[in-house]
Amino acid sequence: MEHTYKPSPSTKVLLGVLILLGLIGLGYGFATDPARSWNNLLINNMYFISISIGALLFYSLQLITNSAWSAMFQRVPLAMGVFLLPGALLMLLLYFGLPDIYQWAVPGIAGTDKLIAHKQPFLNVPFYMIRIILYFTMWIALFLVMRRYALRQEKPGDLQSFYKSRYYAKVFIFVATIFFSLAAMDWVMTIDAHWYSTLFGFRAAVTSIYYAVAVIILFILYLNKKGFFPAMNEAHRHDFARYIFRFSIVFGYLWFMQFLIIWYANIPELTAYYYPRFVGEWQVLFYAEPLINFAIPFVVMMSDVVGRHKVVMPTISILLIFGLWVSLYLQVMPGSTGVMQVGIMELAVWLGYAGLFLWLVLHSLGRSSLVPSNHPQLEESIHHHL
Amino acid sequence: MSKQHMIGVFDNEDDLLQAIRKLKEKRANIKDVFGPATNHDLIKAFTRESLLPFLAVLVAIGTIIGAFAFLYYTAVIDYPLRYGGKPLFSFPPMVVILFLLTILVTGGVSVMAFLGRVQLFPGKEPVMIDQRASDDRFYLVMDQNFNPTEVRQWILDAGALEVVDKEVDFSLKTIFL
Repeated sequence: MEHTYKPSPSTKVLLGVLILLGLIGLGYGFATDPARSWNNLLINNMYFISISIGALLFYSLQLITNSAWSAMFQRVPLAMGVFLLPGALLMLLLYFGLPDIYQWAVPGIAGTDKLIAHKQPFLNVPFYMIRIILYFTMWIALFLVMRRYALRQEKPGDLQSFYKSRYYAKVFIFVATIFFSLAAMDWVMTIDAHWYSTLFGFRAAVTSIYYAVAVIILFILYLNKKGFFPAMNEAHRHDFARYIFRFSIVFGYLWFMQFLIIWYANIPELTAYYYPRFVGEWQVLFYAEPLINFAIPFVVMMSDVVGRHKVVMPTISILLIFGLWVSLYLQVMPGSTGVMQVGIMELAVWLGYAGLFLWLVLHSLGRSSLVPSNHPQLEESIHHHL
Repeated sequence: MSKQHMIGVFDNEDDLLQAIRKLKEKRANIKDVFGPATNHDLIKAFTRESLLPFLAVLVAIGTIIGAFAFLYYTAVIDYPLRYGGKPLFSFPPMVVILFLLTILVTGGVSVMAFLGRVQLFPGKEPVMIDQRASDDRFYLVMDQNFNPTEVRQWILDAGALEVVDKEVDFSLKTIFL
């Protein structure tokens, strides 16, 4: 039995084609409509960084709650954190397109806009870039430390690095939830510079685990099909399905609370955010978002037997992957370009990012044994049953 | 109304589990299992199909419809009062009330239905197979069977300490009646 995953040459070629497609889409976008392209870059940066952070949060949660059932799969979420490295560069790249995305970054706006002038000490380009560097320094440092201690467990009898992993998992949970909330506010919420929602960052940080679990499920089912994880059974799938089900409720709750409070209070500067989405051309996406991210997963995953089915689980996961994009598109686009343009370009850029993400994660998975062979909870994970 | 039952006595749940699996495979009629503790395998091996989840879904749907009708009646028909410039019938604020009422009613009805089904309510006289059932012994109570001698042998083979025939009264008795 092979214990190390190596992506086959055809997979590598496919992913290369995807990345190339993304580059072509991006080149075409910058030639025709630079503002739209910059916003697409932001959407996809946010998309894959949030999946990376969510995966590492999932990994940390498993460690600090002593969840033995997932010990066998821990390398997969850990490998997904690797997108943070190119993510940092791609976020810094946005420096050249800031005025196309953020109203507050347009030169001279403070002279005409009182509210933005008031927020200028926080919302200015140098501090924005410093914050990006700050966030990524912390996340990447913690990711590398967690990865080092996880790989060190390969040595037999090294329980100390397991305890170290658990310690850094605790640190990471605090750092990631607090600073990813701030990052989501920084990168997405400030697009509508006049508007604010205290729930926004929390929602982004918590639901990141939701989508990360969907991606982890797809990775694990793919690897299982390739012959890895022979011990995976109904009980493991059941636990993953329950994650999706529980987080669909969390998503529905947070989405609705953000909307309800603003709808109820009826304060003009807050409703200005929801009004174009609620009645304008974005209406379809506005209703599609809770339908895809909450209603469908909630109803389908309600029954345990249906939820852990080998076909239902990946279907819902793919739906959620689409749902995150809809969610982010609806958060970014109405405030920045203000026109709904969904075309080949959006698809190409997303495919390019997905290709890069998959290539990095699969490569990172191949760097070590797929199953943490000396993990103290591995036996319990293998014999996990309902 | 007492009936004759065959009772297997076990001192650990693993033997009991083995007996249950064997008897299920041979389609013998198991009446009930008693013991001081349980484990997941035991529940899984012995559990019969439960209709409680379906009851819960039905009650939940009924509650949503009922609560919606109630809210619509109070807000639009009976006492139409416009506040905050909102339309008389507006769905968003109803969601919270529907959600909470559904959880409350469904949870309550499910618990009541469960307690009623397993006959667990104040005033019920418990069925006591034997004093040791609350101490350290597991009891497997068999119903009338097609072949008592074979069933007895299967239970003993699985590791039962003894198999006794005893009159047990499973009918509902309360202190009120």
